[in-house]
Amino acid sequence: MSSPEQLAIIQSKFTAGETVVIAIEASLMQGCMRAARLLALVNKGSTHALVILLTSRTPPQVFSDLTIERVLPIDHDFKCDLDTDGKQQDSLDVYLNVSSRKLRLVFEMRPGVTTSSLVSEIFRAIEVFQKNNSPPTEYLWIQKLTGSTRNLDSATDDIQDVADPLVELESPDLVVPRRNIATGKTPVAARESVVRYQMACKEEDYTYTEVFRMFIGTWNVNGQPPNGITLEQWLSSDQIPPDLYAIGFQELDLSKEAFLFNDTLREEEWRQVVTKFLHPKGTYYQVAIVRLVGMMLIIFAQEVHKPFIKAVSVHTVGTGIMGKMGNKGGVAVSCTIHNTSVCFVNAHLAAHCEEYERRNQDYADICARLSFSSYVPPKGFKDHDQIYWLGDLNYRITEMESSVAKHHITNGNYGPVIALDQLVQQRRLGKVFQGFQEAEINFKPTYKYDPGTDNWDSSEKGRAPAWCDRVLWKGEAILPIDYRSHPELKISDHKPVSAIFDSQIRVIDITKYRKIHEEVMKKLDKLENEFLPQVMVDTTEVIFDTIHFMEPSTKELIIANTGQVPVQFEFIKKLDDTSYCKEWLHIEPYMGFIKPGEKCDIQLEIFVDKKSACKQNSGEDKLYDILVLHLEGGKDIFITVLASAYERSCFGSSMEALVHIRVPIREIPAGRIMELENNKNPTQEPYPVPKEVWQLVDRLYRHGIKTAGLFQTPGLHSEIIAIRDWLDIGSQDAMPGGVHSVAEALLLLLESTAEPLVPYNLHNVCLSAATNYLQCKQIVMQLPEIRRTVFLYICSFLQELLNHTEENGLDAKTLATLFGSIFLRDPPRSRDDRQYRSRSIQATFDRKKAAFVYHFLVNDQSDFILGR
Amino acid sequence: MRNIRRPIRFRTKDNMANRGTAQRPNGQTQGKICQFKLVLLGESAVGKSSLVLRFVKGQFHEYQESTIGAAFLTQTVCLDDTTVKFEIWDTAGQERYHSLAPMYYRGAQAAIVVYDITNQDTFVRATTWVKELQRQASPNIVIALAGNKADLANKRVVECDEAQAYADENGLLFMETSAKTAMNVNDIFLAIAKKLPKNEQAGNGGSSGQGRRLAEAEGQKATAGNCCK
Repeated sequence: MSSPEQLAIIQSKFTAGETVVIAIEASLMQGCMRAARLLALVNKGSTHALVILLTSRTPPQVFSDLTIERVLPIDHDFKCDLDTDGKQQDSLDVYLNVSSRKLRLVFEMRPGVTTSSLVSEIFRAIEVFQKNNSPPTEYLWIQKLTGSTRNLDSATDDIQDVADPLVELESPDLVVPRRNIATGKTPVAARESVVRYQMACKEEDYTYTEVFRMFIGTWNVNGQPPNGITLEQWLSSDQIPPDLYAIGFQELDLSKEAFLFNDTLREEEWRQVVTKFLHPKGTYYQVAIVRLVGMMLIIFAQEVHKPFIKAVSVHTVGTGIMGKMGNKGGVAVSCTIHNTSVCFVNAHLAAHCEEYERRNQDYADICARLSFSSYVPPKGFKDHDQIYWLGDLNYRITEMESSVAKHHITNGNYGPVIALDQLVQQRRLGKVFQGFQEAEINFKPTYKYDPGTDNWDSSEKGRAPAWCDRVLWKGEAILPIDYRSHPELKISDHKPVSAIFDSQIRVIDITKYRKIHEEVMKKLDKLENEFLPQVMVDTTEVIFDTIHFMEPSTKELIIANTGQVPVQFEFIKKLDDTSYCKEWLHIEPYMGFIKPGEKCDIQLEIFVDKKSACKQNSGEDKLYDILVLHLEGGKDIFITVLASAYERSCFGSSMEALVHIRVPIREIPAGRIMELENNKNPTQEPYPVPKEVWQLVDRLYRHGIKTAGLFQTPGLHSEIIAIRDWLDIGSQDAMPGGVHSVAEALLLLLESTAEPLVPYNLHNVCLSAATNYLQCKQIVMQLPEIRRTVFLYICSFLQELLNHTEENGLDAKTLATLFGSIFLRDPPRSRDDRQYRSRSIQATFDRKKAAFVYHFLVNDQSDFILGR
Repeated sequence: MRNIRRPIRFRTKDNMANRGTAQRPNGQTQGKICQFKLVLLGESAVGKSSLVLRFVKGQFHEYQESTIGAAFLTQTVCLDDTTVKFEIWDTAGQERYHSLAPMYYRGAQAAIVVYDITNQDTFVRATTWVKELQRQASPNIVIALAGNKADLANKRVVECDEAQAYADENGLLFMETSAKTAMNVNDIFLAIAKKLPKNEQAGNGGSSGQGRRLAEAEGQKATAGNCCK
């Protein structure tokens, strides 16, 4: 992030004297959500501030991409620390906890050089403050920064993110992103980790400690088999049976096979012997076994603890030849006992008297490389509450003559010898086993003996005695009880060692745990429910008066945000519906965003047009709809929209129904129209063509035949409405409106039927026959009688119009195109179809429709009309 | 300054508050949360919203407003081994909204069908809801029958035995409840929580969270990439 260019961009947000020391991308943790931010450490004079910036682009390109969100002065209220243990199970990231006054923020950052630099710069800034103790007056520049933030807020419209503060509740650690809760974006997994974090913080409240007796034993067996050996003296010499055994061996097998192939029979042999000599007063089960070449570690625990020992995981680290091979190194077991995590390490460090630095290095390597992969992310050696380290650590005594040492030891005067023990020395220097403890050594050195005896090594080398075999521990509440060797076991050149501890294990009080867990959950529930989106609508029933054909009517609905969070609303589709409302309804806007305390006016418009009228007439549809107003992440509200009635009209009626109606349509009951639309109870003597068609054509014939631009000049909406009423109600007066309005009304009447004059099932046939007059004629012959009559009636009228081309300026092609599109209206298609049909294809279809109608405008139809 | 700690802080003894925040693959301290969509169905004015209000907020309103729509609330129930989070959809009972009910019971893992013990018609309606659920809802939906207003025992018309027998025949959980006195309210939710299968899938937020995003669940649009990914 901190490339010079980007630093320059960030720097440009600040004035002279304010220096951006370092900047880095980080994620602001809001509960479990991450929100991208930039962190910049800014310096002015002797004061520093941590500035949190929002960026509209990552990385920012210009300074206007950046908005200062918060500025935290680094003063006596500023606190900062770093957490490397992931609260989030799925990341290996570093967490920076920052707090200033009441605010507490957690940032997630990628581990790396820049992160480290930022952190060290922050700490340097804290030190600077501590040294100078700058008075508040020196921090005034910060107020200017925050002041400008506020101005920015009001200047920009889109302040949603900026104006969305974290919830600062009574418990500052419960930072929950309310907007995300409101929008249902907080996944369960996130909630789980919030709960886990909350529970971890309260661990003291629901756990108590229980003492576990631990037996930690180590023995370098020098490759000897356990033939006929008894281990009672080592493993079960105490009164109290241990709760847990951790038994480590080194040099279990010195053969080449074991070294090269890590394969040995000794593992099972020793395992069986050990199992046999566990304390007789306890019933044990094997928790884990792990071996690398000659290093083996077995953990046993009393059966009663079995349900509480979990997450058992093993790992091995070889530090031998090439720093990899398993002749030296460590094997380890990690587990969780109740609520305490415990790690056991059995190590065999580098040999030879002078090699203590090599041993220190082996220790460091084992620490760094141990990792238990059954955890996600893998758990390191340090991430345990208690660590027990045993093994042949191989530290010697080199600063004392062997004979002098032996003399002291024989007299039981260990003190002067131990003081020169390399491990004691190295630990005192802080070179190795930092943070570990060891009990006082009150036993003879465990190395090196002549096998089978208690005599010091009598070989040529005559090695000096040493306490090679040791047990150390790290962690709270571990009480050493005993630390001894067991010289009775003589098969090896080493004597076995054991250490007894009373270790406090955190046990969950399940009653208290549940109670606290429930409290945490309840708190989260309460938060979630409180921050659900809430709105009020002024009505859930929008009732319109009688709706007329082609006359829009509008009503308003008010949605007010009465909740605490911004609301994203949307009218949503009901199951299986294709749209969120019926075709005669229009909602504006149908979705939107309302801030708390604000409201939104929704326009609902009913408009029954040529497409939707036929369903109203036939009763297939009603002016009734239930809308589902959905609040994102929250509830739904049902809004019922209805009109008290739809005024029946000849528009939208089928030709078949109209020919049976001899009076204006309003004079017959709506039920009768539905009957006729559904072909029920027709009258005996229908008209040959609907009287409305005749009335409109007749009006045009009488008054418009010579009018220029007929069928090309649009009519007036008000006149069309008047013509509609004249037709529907009936009147003694002459038909109102100019001829252009009459012409448009005629087209509208033909267009608003459920089906075009040429039924849909003949649509394609007509198009393919369009060039052939005879075929076209045959198709027309096949039309149902009423349709055919209306078709020919209108064609005859059009022919009559064409007799007056000189006056009206019409030509056959124009009329054929216009009426082709009406007589051969396209069948309803899905939106997708329409999109796929390209414009050129549509033009071809339109030409064919025109060609079809053209035949009937230019050829004499009299024989046809006469029914021949 | 005392309060400033070392920059790098590992999980050691001085950091007890954070104990357990690290990896815990298993164990009872692990708070596994299973999320379920639960829908309440039943005739209007039988007390669906009152049951939810009692369960979620511990409140009761004598004159509870009629629900016009589908109210949404969440509530968590802690069981021995798991935590069950209910996403509760409280639907409108009026008959005219009947056709919208599938929007809410589709994808629901649990349903409470409520009737009023003082009104025989509501019991009949409840049985038709049960039939509809058995036919249309997901096949392993857990259905509970709640005979509400049990505090009005003197006006009782639906006998407890009759309802119990019906519930037994149809494999339903059954309890008489009172949102007013809180009788059996937590119990019925708890009984459902216990009966729900708590496998991996149920706990997966991705699958059950859909209830809250009905529009998107219908394939209308995908959530734009956001920070929770």
